[in-house]
Amino acid sequence: MGNLLSFKNVNYFYQTKNDEIFALNNVTFDTSEQSFMSIIGPSGCGKTTILSLAAGLLKPSSGEITLDGEKQIDSKKIGYMFQKDFLFEWRSVWKNITLGLEIQKPKNIDEKLALAEELLKKYDLFSFKDQKPRSLSGGMRQRVALIRTLALEPKLLLLDEPFSALDYQTRLTLCDDVHSIIKSEKKTAILVTHDISEALSMSDKIVVLSGRPATVKEILPINLPGKTPLKRRENQQSGELFDHLWRQLINDETKEK
Amino acid sequence: MKPKKNKITEKTFSKSHIAYVKRLRRDKFLIIFFRIFLLVAFIGLWELLTATNVIDPFFISSPSRIMSQIVALAKDGTLLNHTWVTLYETLIGFAIATVLGYIIAVLLWWNEKVRKVFEPYIVVLNSLPKIALGPIIILWVGAGTNAIIMMCVLICIVITTMSMLSAFLSVEEGKILLLKSMNANKFQIFFKLVLPSAMPEFVSVLKINVGMSWVGSIMGEYLTSKAGLGYLIVYGGQIFKIDLVMAATVILCILAFAMYYFVSLLEKKYNPKTKA
Repeated sequence: MGNLLSFKNVNYFYQTKNDEIFALNNVTFDTSEQSFMSIIGPSGCGKTTILSLAAGLLKPSSGEITLDGEKQIDSKKIGYMFQKDFLFEWRSVWKNITLGLEIQKPKNIDEKLALAEELLKKYDLFSFKDQKPRSLSGGMRQRVALIRTLALEPKLLLLDEPFSALDYQTRLTLCDDVHSIIKSEKKTAILVTHDISEALSMSDKIVVLSGRPATVKEILPINLPGKTPLKRRENQQSGELFDHLWRQLINDETKEK
Repeated sequence: MKPKKNKITEKTFSKSHIAYVKRLRRDKFLIIFFRIFLLVAFIGLWELLTATNVIDPFFISSPSRIMSQIVALAKDGTLLNHTWVTLYETLIGFAIATVLGYIIAVLLWWNEKVRKVFEPYIVVLNSLPKIALGPIIILWVGAGTNAIIMMCVLICIVITTMSMLSAFLSVEEGKILLLKSMNANKFQIFFKLVLPSAMPEFVSVLKINVGMSWVGSIMGEYLTSKAGLGYLIVYGGQIFKIDLVMAATVILCILAFAMYYFVSLLEKKYNPKTKA
């Protein structure tokens, strides 16, 4: 399958009053269609910057980003999911999910509304449709946030540590849910995380970044047996890979000091 | 039917829960009881002490004198007129200040540069005692109702703008980013996110403005007026008729409370936190 997103020699500088921060140094990678890619790296290295660039919220200082073969990023092809669910408390679950549709007003809105309803039913949230988000648990809230993103039918999902605010158990089950939702909806996803085992259990490919300014240290294809992230976590091989990735990250941090 | 139903539901709860609910009810009853008791005791004591001439009603009036003063005002038809004049000034001032203050806050939120330019002016306007502008207002819009409304607006508008602006600016950055990632424009960001999330703050601004607009209209009437409750108070003071002063004050209390009550109804609707 072809490439959906590619970064070619991308550099990025943040401008502040007193300084210019070199965030991304010559970052190059490709994400193929219907794949699940993770980006890991030491904290503050610029993982979120990559997502913001991919979403077109930031423009690269130099280098080239192409989405779906186009250099001009069409943000309608992107779905962005954040660390926090950012549900609007004054809107019902249904109104939260259709927020993006209200804003973009697509021509085939009826189809998309039907899709949103179907997603709600499929992922056991339909009975909470008219409730306010505050009556939902943390895991349910993130699932609502995911459906809000999927309702716009993006080609590429950008996940910015969407599980990190949850407790461990919820996190494991939600990982499974999200993974199966993304796979069954045939979406392409990029996950940013600092959790190595999470990256291992979910992805087909892991991009390891160095500390700031971030360069790509390694692009590691993952081919663990097991359909769900939970099954993959149990795998022997995943222990070895974990060690390998752990050393990559640790090396970098000690070098910094 | 109803008491029977209650019995059934109560039976399903544990003893400690029933005791807890009872305690809650008793506390609530006590609070309401003492609220009323305090008012009755205050009025009773006031009446008693003045009736027995322990204190001189010439200086502090008495509940019965205030009542008969109000009745007298009502009979000659001036009560309604004075009350209406002040209520009109207050409501108009309140409405203009709230709407205009809100719009200014929106404009300042919209454009960061404009906001930065106006920031120091707003700070100065806020700390300036508005009563100092009294003579200028009279020169500009003339003595009378307009000047009073203007005073009322000036007192409420700055605080409205400042509170609303800070509410607009305190919207979570991530939520704005979410809308931007959905390709929302600034209008949509305002109407879908900023306005609704600033709703609780708006209600509390309304509550503040209820108090402030009465301050404004009474102050305006002190400055220049031919009628109104503030006028009655000043006039009563000048002719040493404390009953009149007190009667006008009591009516003011009732009106201010009523207005506050209407706003608090709104609060119940828009501020889920206060919904028990």
